[in-house]
Amino acid sequence: MTLGLFWGWIMLENLFFAGLVAWFAGATLPLISISSDSKTFRRISLGIYAIASLLLADVSLFAAYKNITIAITIYKILPQIQFSFMLDRLSALFVLMISVVSLCASIYSVGYVEHGHHKVRKNLLVSLMGFFILSMILVVSSANTFAFIFFWETMSLSSFFLVMYEYEKKETRKAGIFYFAMTQLSTVFLITAFVVLYAINGSFDIRHTAFADPSLLTAVFLLLFVGFSIKAGVIPFHKWLPYAHPASPSNISALMSGLMIKVAIYGMMRFLLFALAPELWWGILVLSAGIISAILGVIYAMKENDLKRLLAYSSIENIGVVLVGLGLYLIFSQSGLPSLAILGLAGALFHAFNHAIFKSLLFLTSGSVVYSTGTRNIEEMGGLVHRMPFTAISFFIGALSISALPPLSGFVGEFLIFQSFLDSHALADPMLRLLMVTCLSSFALTSALAAACFVKAFGAVFLAVPRTENAQKAHEVPKSMIAGPIILAALCVVLGIFSRQIFKSLGFSIDSPDLFFIGVFLIASYALTFAVLRAASSGKVRISETWGCGIISQNGRMEYTASGFAQPLVRMLKAIYRTEERSERKFFDSQSSIFKEGKAEMRLMQFFEEYIYMPIARAVNTASKAVAHLQTGSLDDYIAYTFVAVVVLLLVVGWII
Amino acid sequence: MEFLVEGWINVLLALVLISGAFIVTRRDLLALVSTYSIQSFLISAVALSLYLIEKHNVLLYLAILTVASKSLLIPYFIRTIQRKMRIRRDLEFHYITPIISIFVTLILTLVAYICLSKALTASSAQNDFYLGAVLGVSLALMGMMVIFSRRKVITKIVGYLMMENGVLLFGMFLTELPFIVEAMIVIDLIILVLIAAILAVGMDASIEEFQARLNVAHKWFTQEKEDDEI
Amino acid sequence: MNWPFLIYIFVNAAFALLISPFYMSLIKKIKAWTQRRKGPPLFQTYYNIAKLMKKEVVYSSNSSWIMRTTPYANMIAVLAAAMFVPLAFVPQGFDGVGNIILFVYLLAVARFFMALSGLDAGSTFGGMGSSREMSLSAIIEPTTIVVFAALAFTFKTTNLHEIFTETAKFPAFVMNPSLFLISIPLFLVIIVETARVPVDNPETHLELTMIHEAMILEQSGRNLALMELSSAVKQTLLTGVLVNVLMPWGLATEFTLQAILFSMLAFFAKAAAISIIIGLFESALAKIRLFLLPHIFMLAFFLSVLAILLEVF
Repeated sequence: MTLGLFWGWIMLENLFFAGLVAWFAGATLPLISISSDSKTFRRISLGIYAIASLLLADVSLFAAYKNITIAITIYKILPQIQFSFMLDRLSALFVLMISVVSLCASIYSVGYVEHGHHKVRKNLLVSLMGFFILSMILVVSSANTFAFIFFWETMSLSSFFLVMYEYEKKETRKAGIFYFAMTQLSTVFLITAFVVLYAINGSFDIRHTAFADPSLLTAVFLLLFVGFSIKAGVIPFHKWLPYAHPASPSNISALMSGLMIKVAIYGMMRFLLFALAPELWWGILVLSAGIISAILGVIYAMKENDLKRLLAYSSIENIGVVLVGLGLYLIFSQSGLPSLAILGLAGALFHAFNHAIFKSLLFLTSGSVVYSTGTRNIEEMGGLVHRMPFTAISFFIGALSISALPPLSGFVGEFLIFQSFLDSHALADPMLRLLMVTCLSSFALTSALAAACFVKAFGAVFLAVPRTENAQKAHEVPKSMIAGPIILAALCVVLGIFSRQIFKSLGFSIDSPDLFFIGVFLIASYALTFAVLRAASSGKVRISETWGCGIISQNGRMEYTASGFAQPLVRMLKAIYRTEERSERKFFDSQSSIFKEGKAEMRLMQFFEEYIYMPIARAVNTASKAVAHLQTGSLDDYIAYTFVAVVVLLLVVGWII
Repeated sequence: MEFLVEGWINVLLALVLISGAFIVTRRDLLALVSTYSIQSFLISAVALSLYLIEKHNVLLYLAILTVASKSLLIPYFIRTIQRKMRIRRDLEFHYITPIISIFVTLILTLVAYICLSKALTASSAQNDFYLGAVLGVSLALMGMMVIFSRRKVITKIVGYLMMENGVLLFGMFLTELPFIVEAMIVIDLIILVLIAAILAVGMDASIEEFQARLNVAHKWFTQEKEDDEI
Repeated sequence: MNWPFLIYIFVNAAFALLISPFYMSLIKKIKAWTQRRKGPPLFQTYYNIAKLMKKEVVYSSNSSWIMRTTPYANMIAVLAAAMFVPLAFVPQGFDGVGNIILFVYLLAVARFFMALSGLDAGSTFGGMGSSREMSLSAIIEPTTIVVFAALAFTFKTTNLHEIFTETAKFPAFVMNPSLFLISIPLFLVIIVETARVPVDNPETHLELTMIHEAMILEQSGRNLALMELSSAVKQTLLTGVLVNVLMPWGLATEFTLQAILFSMLAFFAKAAAISIIIGLFESALAKIRLFLLPHIFMLAFFLSVLAILLEVF
């Protein structure tokens, strides 16, 4: 205990600093040898990442567990503007999340980065990955809005370069540009919000709560909400996410989907929980945004046949789930029900943490699948459970967890949110209770659809018979690419089983069921069932063909496809998918009975693109065309513009002062 | 005792609304008519339960009248028409599909609740009576929905009848009784006239088709395109 | 953990395992009677399970460990769920056991494995079954949760054990009319979850009707016996929720041998009554087309929302 205290007070700041320096060193190392194809340099760099992650995980775990705050200042530009950092419980939780995931991603990358052919690009991938993770850590531990926005930008830039890794592909370029535009839009909103915040409280400090003028708080909230929503991929700001996440290399997709969108969630929580004074309708807004993202995200995921895009849509869903928890927290805390509010918040935080773990697990394993089969289309896979057994079991655990099945970790977060929904009869306002019931039913639909979606994903990728030759020839990936995901899979199980104990040790009295007991019961009853069957049954086993109505040998073309699997739901939810079916038929005779030829087509309408994004893009285009007339190319004109601008500025300054 | 009866009135009202939702979505004409008959029976049960609390004799008469006219006589009439018509199903839905119409029904109930809660806070303190009025209004709205969203005349008639049931419910819970009895009889008469009119012209499909038949002579001469929807 | 609770777990699970197959045959018998047939003996399901135990297991050469673990996963998930629905007596509360959400999700675990095993052998039938099962279960899920939410709103608790203690105190269901309202969608949820007409036809393997049967088409021998037994137990558990909410007469809340025995007998009779109703319900209806099922589910959803509305306002 004394040793622990010593550790805590004397060393913690230094350890945190050392961890950051190690990240930086690790990230610059591949840049030194950028043009040499040196495997060892990359390995050393990834090794440093792993060690630094362990160090930071240790520090942040300690800080979160003991509930102490670490603060360091690295560089002062001006007395007000400085790079200073602090780890309180919330930051520590997110640093822990980032460290754990990046540890596994670093291990995974040892094998993964070597499958490229371009040496400079491989070095850049490792280096940028380091900078990306480092800037995420620095964002969540920033102590002032200046540092926050600075590292937010480095995070966006490094991830933009990572998305453009395979820039020769047209699809990737489109994804990259889209991502860049959206992420800069988000920065614009955030900077505006921070400037307004500075204007009303005169401080860049992220924890500052004394407001000179609270009337602008609503504006700040809306700006922050939109800014963070764009980055988190909340519907309707989500459109970049299903393009950008699949386009980047798989280890980066895991980081982006698992961590980067959580950084946006962190920002939202940081300001809503500590800095701003929430009102009831903010909670309702957050809850509704969450429900819409959750349900539409999973419905789109259900239809998707691109494995990584399916996971990206499912990230949108899970961000929605986290927002639902946050919204419930806001609503309940404004209605004077603190215990329910804590339940919602704990659900949101726990789900955010677990989603980081199981989503990066799923992205890493799907990266392995793509690595072995060379395709992202799940219709061209199948039967991989025999060929890639370790990848299959890791993916399976991730799928169980994301489908919120007990006793794994994904269940706990959703459970807490369900629980606070079901306890909402304590709310006084009947309209609010009604809103709760409405949201509850959509939420239930969401989690059931998620299960269906991952049955489809696992079934089509891993089970039955390979559908193509590539899948037939697939083989298990290198050891490091198995080890990284396996650690995450183990964490999924541990975090689920010991969830109650974790909450208790952190000092929250949350009435979550004892999944450890359930786990023990499941194992005991498994043993019992096994023993009884051993004793009572014949024990004979025979291997034979699948029954195919008399067909002698079965092949991959006979099994159910992924689109076939999704078809009933796609048809039932036709109104949401907005599929447009068109058919033309020609006949030989006038009675329309002898068929001559026909044409049928099915098109998926892209609601958000057609009705929200494209009109805005067109408007911007028109405006730019109008502005383009100013650009004559003659120097005299430009000097004249500058002259006019200076005069106008002078007038404006004179007018105001 | 009163508490118990009030609870059961709630359940009966919920069942009335369910039968309304059933009428909105079903395609089978026979089932529609039977559901209507059950709905009227439920409403008379509501009237009886109210009689147990309030002891107005009018309510008793109302219950008897409802059972006799709406659960027995009118369904009998409609079944007779149906037997002559050989039409069993009404497959067409305008504007809204069955699933969406249930959603709309739920939303209508809520809207009725919110609006009435603003309008009636002063006059009605009792919760149950209030709920009855809300369900009455939403039942009437559902009836209208049936009328505009379905094509077959029989379905439309059931829609009218359901609307009238809604008015009856509303009246039982909120307004003066003798007046509402009067109104009910008037509306019933209208519907009976309607039925008689339909019987007279020998309707067997939809109003549009009836009009088409009236225009048949005109068509004969102008050689318009054939109506292939039979 | 106290020893009455341990005894409860054991007795409850054993009781559920013991009586469940009976109701499967009972429903078949009722259906046979309505068709003027003689029907199978009342203990036919027990004979079937005993027969399947003795037979060999045939695995497809395409199948993986999913196929081999599914029967066990189903059984243990259902056994864990059995802790949540007291059939014989209601024990003193133990943390989290009896939670409604956990109960629903334990059943979801069983379904998840079963759907995967349908895909595992690469048979078209299995794939079709699991596709339909996952679709229907997704569509019915809001109704299921809202029904349970209605229970939670009525009793102000999310623990099934506490709900049943409450109903056992006031056994006359007429006392709480909204329970009657909740029980209708609950009955529909049972019909859907246990794959009965009009949602699914448990008698056939035909392509048009099959959902549940198609998924377990590749199972055989003792594995099939486990699957059949676990789905029988699942039906008993869901029936148990309905029975204990709607007619909790005789449910023991104190821990005495006499009370427990009486409660078991009473439950046996009550569940038999529900099974007879299910049998008659199945005989009265025809299988509904797959894509018309959402209409029925919507009606059930409508009812459960109404039940909540009555509670809320």
